[in-house]
Amino acid sequence: MLFKNLMEHMGIEPDRVHFSWISSAESTKFVDVVNEVTAAVKALGPNKNFIIKAA
Amino acid sequence: MLGYIDKIKEISERVLKEGTVEMVIGFQKGTLPMMNEPCFVKCSGDVQRLVWDSNCGINLANYLTDRKEKIAVIAKGCDSRNIVTHIIENKIKRDQLFIIGVPCNGMIDKSKIASMFEKEIIEVVEDQNNIIVKGEGFEETLKKGDVLQENCAICIHRNPVIYDELVSDMVEEQRDVDRYEDVRRIEEMEPDKKYGFFDDLLSACIRCYACRDACPLCYCPTCFVDESRPQWVGKGQDPVDIRTFHFLRAYHCAGRCTDCGACERACPMEIKVRTFTKKLEKDCLEAYGWEAGMSLDERPPLDTFRPDDPEDFIK
Amino acid sequence: MSDWEPKIVSFLCNWCSYGAADLAGVGRMEYPPNIRVVRVPCSGRVSPKFILAALRNGADGVWVSG
Repeated sequence: MLFKNLMEHMGIEPDRVHFSWISSAESTKFVDVVNEVTAAVKALGPNKNFIIKAA
Repeated sequence: MLGYIDKIKEISERVLKEGTVEMVIGFQKGTLPMMNEPCFVKCSGDVQRLVWDSNCGINLANYLTDRKEKIAVIAKGCDSRNIVTHIIENKIKRDQLFIIGVPCNGMIDKSKIASMFEKEIIEVVEDQNNIIVKGEGFEETLKKGDVLQENCAICIHRNPVIYDELVSDMVEEQRDVDRYEDVRRIEEMEPDKKYGFFDDLLSACIRCYACRDACPLCYCPTCFVDESRPQWVGKGQDPVDIRTFHFLRAYHCAGRCTDCGACERACPMEIKVRTFTKKLEKDCLEAYGWEAGMSLDERPPLDTFRPDDPEDFIK
Repeated sequence: MSDWEPKIVSFLCNWCSYGAADLAGVGRMEYPPNIRVVRVPCSGRVSPKFILAALRNGADGVWVSG
């Protein structure tokens, strides 16, 4: 939690990093979370700040 | 504050003579004004080297890591909290230490004072509440309260939390200080603006690692910046590398930082590196009700689990 | 930019989410192909360094799952 907060504090969009807890029997939850995470990251657009520019 | 030194010398001389300890860690006058340096006194004849004034901002807990001998250490409020952290993390044993507690009134900010004058400062003397700055052709009196280090101005633990002997009565703790005003100001920004803010903040960084070296918490045998297989962070001046370094350095201090200000004091580029650690400190207080180094009996939040730990960030 | 697809680095625990992913595969469920899975022996293995390294090296998102 501290990690995520500090990332946000530093100006990385909160929706770029996700944490979840899924049991090995919860395949439906797995699919739901993949959808959710993908949608959230898609909405943000490409990561343009915190990235090493290719030399 | 100035009267402390006689008592410090007396205690140091006594513990060295009696053989209670093999070494006293304190401060001696540095070669430049406002720069006291740590000093290690090993025989009772040398205690005259010790000084105490408002330039003793270095955190002496830094010199205790993995020591084997018996040591007497002079500890301000923040030093004592870092000593507690060291004991909790098994970096030194309580019975190896003789802690000379010093109730503190705050240390002065040398770079702030230096920036107030155009000419070089040659001498700085102080009395109870004033700092007298002397240079070639000028002499000025400043109020100590106006030139305190930023962390000292908002400090609420000035008295040592553990000690074997105190050099004076406890000082009155500050109340009604707003410790996190600047953190809240950043929290209110939009992500892009935050990113820009930290770009500006870190643009001066020269990657000297002085902040890491001054920090009593940074004692890893190999720091992550020096690891090369895999290399987590590049060694150059790339803004992303600089940011990664500062981010991880701060994160390693999560739940341990006492806001002693040693990192900021050590920075040659005058970067406000406490901006990172203060956010963590605030979060620890809000999420876990934790302030680092206040008690020997409590484990820090990041190595314990409690059923009521916040977990709303987990889906 | 409309055809842009994010890359999401996913650290999945061998015993939990990785198993769930396996089960989803067995059950022929469909989900977006944007995740790049890294199997870890336990999500406790994931250090902050990993997350930063992923982002630094071009990931658009990171997902850690136990």
